[in-house]
Amino acid sequence: MTLEVHGLRKRFGDVQALDGVEFAVKPGEVFGFLGSNGAGKTTTMRIILGLLRADEGEVTWRGTPASAWPCGTWGYMPEERGLYPRMPVLEQLLFYASLYGIGRARARRDAEEWLRRFRIGEYADRTADSLSKGNQQKVQFIATVLHDPDVLIMDEPFTGLDPVNAALLRAAFLEMRDRGKTLVFSTHQLDTAEALCETVAIIDHGRVVTGGSTREVRRSTGHQVVRVATAEDGDGTWLSSLPHVTVTRPGEDYTELRVDAGSDPQAVLRAAIATGHEVLRFEVADPSLEEVFVEQVGAVQVDEERTLAAAGGVR
Amino acid sequence: MNSLPNIRAIARRELTVRLRTRAFRFGTLVLLAGVLAIAFAPLIVRAIEGSTTERIAVVDASGLAADPVATLDAILAPPGGDPDTAILVTAVPTLDAGLGGERDGTYVGVLTIRRAASGELEFRLYTDERPANRIPQLIAQAAATLTAQDRLVRLGVGPAAQASLFAGTDFSVEGTDPERASAPASVVEEGAQVMLGFGLTILIFMMILLYGNWVAMSVVEEKSSRVMEVILNAATPFQLLSGKVLGVGGAAAVQYAAILLVGGIALAVQDPVSSLVLGQSASTLALPEGLTIGVLLMFVIYGVLGFLLYAVLYAAAGSLVSRQEDVNSVVQPLTLLASVGYIVAVYTSIGLIDVGGAPLTILSLFPFTSPFMVLSRTLEGTIAPWEVGLSLAILVVSIVGALWVAARIYAAGVLLYGQRPSVRTVWQVVRTGS
Repeated sequence: MTLEVHGLRKRFGDVQALDGVEFAVKPGEVFGFLGSNGAGKTTTMRIILGLLRADEGEVTWRGTPASAWPCGTWGYMPEERGLYPRMPVLEQLLFYASLYGIGRARARRDAEEWLRRFRIGEYADRTADSLSKGNQQKVQFIATVLHDPDVLIMDEPFTGLDPVNAALLRAAFLEMRDRGKTLVFSTHQLDTAEALCETVAIIDHGRVVTGGSTREVRRSTGHQVVRVATAEDGDGTWLSSLPHVTVTRPGEDYTELRVDAGSDPQAVLRAAIATGHEVLRFEVADPSLEEVFVEQVGAVQVDEERTLAAAGGVR
Repeated sequence: MNSLPNIRAIARRELTVRLRTRAFRFGTLVLLAGVLAIAFAPLIVRAIEGSTTERIAVVDASGLAADPVATLDAILAPPGGDPDTAILVTAVPTLDAGLGGERDGTYVGVLTIRRAASGELEFRLYTDERPANRIPQLIAQAAATLTAQDRLVRLGVGPAAQASLFAGTDFSVEGTDPERASAPASVVEEGAQVMLGFGLTILIFMMILLYGNWVAMSVVEEKSSRVMEVILNAATPFQLLSGKVLGVGGAAAVQYAAILLVGGIALAVQDPVSSLVLGQSASTLALPEGLTIGVLLMFVIYGVLGFLLYAVLYAAAGSLVSRQEDVNSVVQPLTLLASVGYIVAVYTSIGLIDVGGAPLTILSLFPFTSPFMVLSRTLEGTIAPWEVGLSLAILVVSIVGALWVAARIYAAGVLLYGQRPSVRTVWQVVRTGS
């Protein structure tokens, strides 16, 4: 009873865009799709929605092929834009809703309610291109949910939003989840994904590198993160002498360390006590998604792919 | 899934948005101004010029028995003739007196007549007009008539005998083609029909080119704004394509209806306006001959069907590019196709090229040229009813076929970004649908 994506493969000319993408999202879950530009997120979403045909593999929702479900099951928010530039906001929301057979009165009531909620009620009669990018994105989100779909597929919904708008959108996400909707979205903002998603998948070069519940993924590397601070003012040389430990973030208040898989973080605490100074802080945590992502995909590559995408490569 | 509500919603959006754009309103106003200007042009010209009747001065030193001024007057301004085209003849005593009148604009020229040493009449026209212009030509004809009369007199043929000599000729052209139902009865009528065919063909051509481009631009706008992806979740490419073509077609119909309405009203009120402004009726201005309800109906049918055929292909072409700047290059083959059909149609109808029977039939049946060909051939009366029927059937079938092909190109093309698909890719898409 899930949204299941099985072994998707898709080739554009010489580029193998998807090379066996596989993941599952339970109904009522928020799923984060993480990957660099060009990793295959948009292509996967388009295949889920039936906009593209996969060369191989299949997508099912509640056990039935995704294409067999009525179009109203799905709500799609493409990356950037997705609105008629020179059409008034409310009017195009009503137009979109009418394509799903939503009555005008209901669509108008819901659209106005959402616009108010997103604090853009006064822009209802303005053309989309007169709105700021963040406001356009909120309108786009309304267009995605207005026909009350079961599954929301959103491509980079948080890109370009200021913190206030991002918080409004996050709240809307959680509300949709509480209403039993399934949310799938791609993002570069790993802290957002960490805060919102029950499950995530990291995709790279058309393959899911790591996937599962957010907690599992954070633990997938086997590393642990230790934050430690002692009363000693020194340079922390005692840390670098510890085996299986790497300083990842030296800082004023505390030092962040990575403890290799299989090693005991408590060894750090023992070493800290052994320095003879007072231990002010000691904390063991899972690595953040960002750390996992960087380790799995590599930071350098992110820039590389961006250049490729900007040059007009296939996504 | 029932297609109609979606097609209707898409068409309605397209229409309302289109009607609201500044380009549409401004364009319509410009066209209306053009129509009014054309409709009232003769009236305006006449109002500005006052009387358009031209005068020439004649210095007669010929010593002819019959007054040449009266004869010239009878030839150049025949009683009962059109006052606009008449040339009034005034006798003046000397060339200088006539030239004075020419300088101050009273006369367009001065004609001197004298008898040369050879005994023949000698005519000299002093004027700024070019020799090939209407007035020198008409005066040359009148001079030829006078010379002939003079020679006959000198040969001893009396005025009565001359009258029978110059009586009208019984001549008419009879068609040899039994299918040619309505051969034009006169040169004037034929000219009017050719002009009408010409004009209506231009209107169809403009409609296809202008509104076809609108369709392509609108597709690209949806594609570049990624609206397409959102809509394709709710509507099929076929619905999107049909709705768009119908919506733009509706906007086109509004524009054409406005033009026809204003043009019709302008023609209808021409008489009252004319008598108000000029104090005379505009009797010479009338609907073009041959513009019957049947012809108008054919114009509408071929215009609409031609537009539909080209528009769906324009939409498919537009779906292949993702930037407005690339639209022109991608629709070029279609524009070229329409231009060739249009030019061939116009050239055959005015007789500049004679393609002959079989090619003419083929061009009248080929769906990309028939919207241009059939109308002018109908006006000429050179088309058989079966050709009209068959061409309509082929056109309708072609539209259905084009819709099928276009929907496939569209479905694949709308998701191609940043790459211009090759002819091979397009062909593969049409064949396999993916």
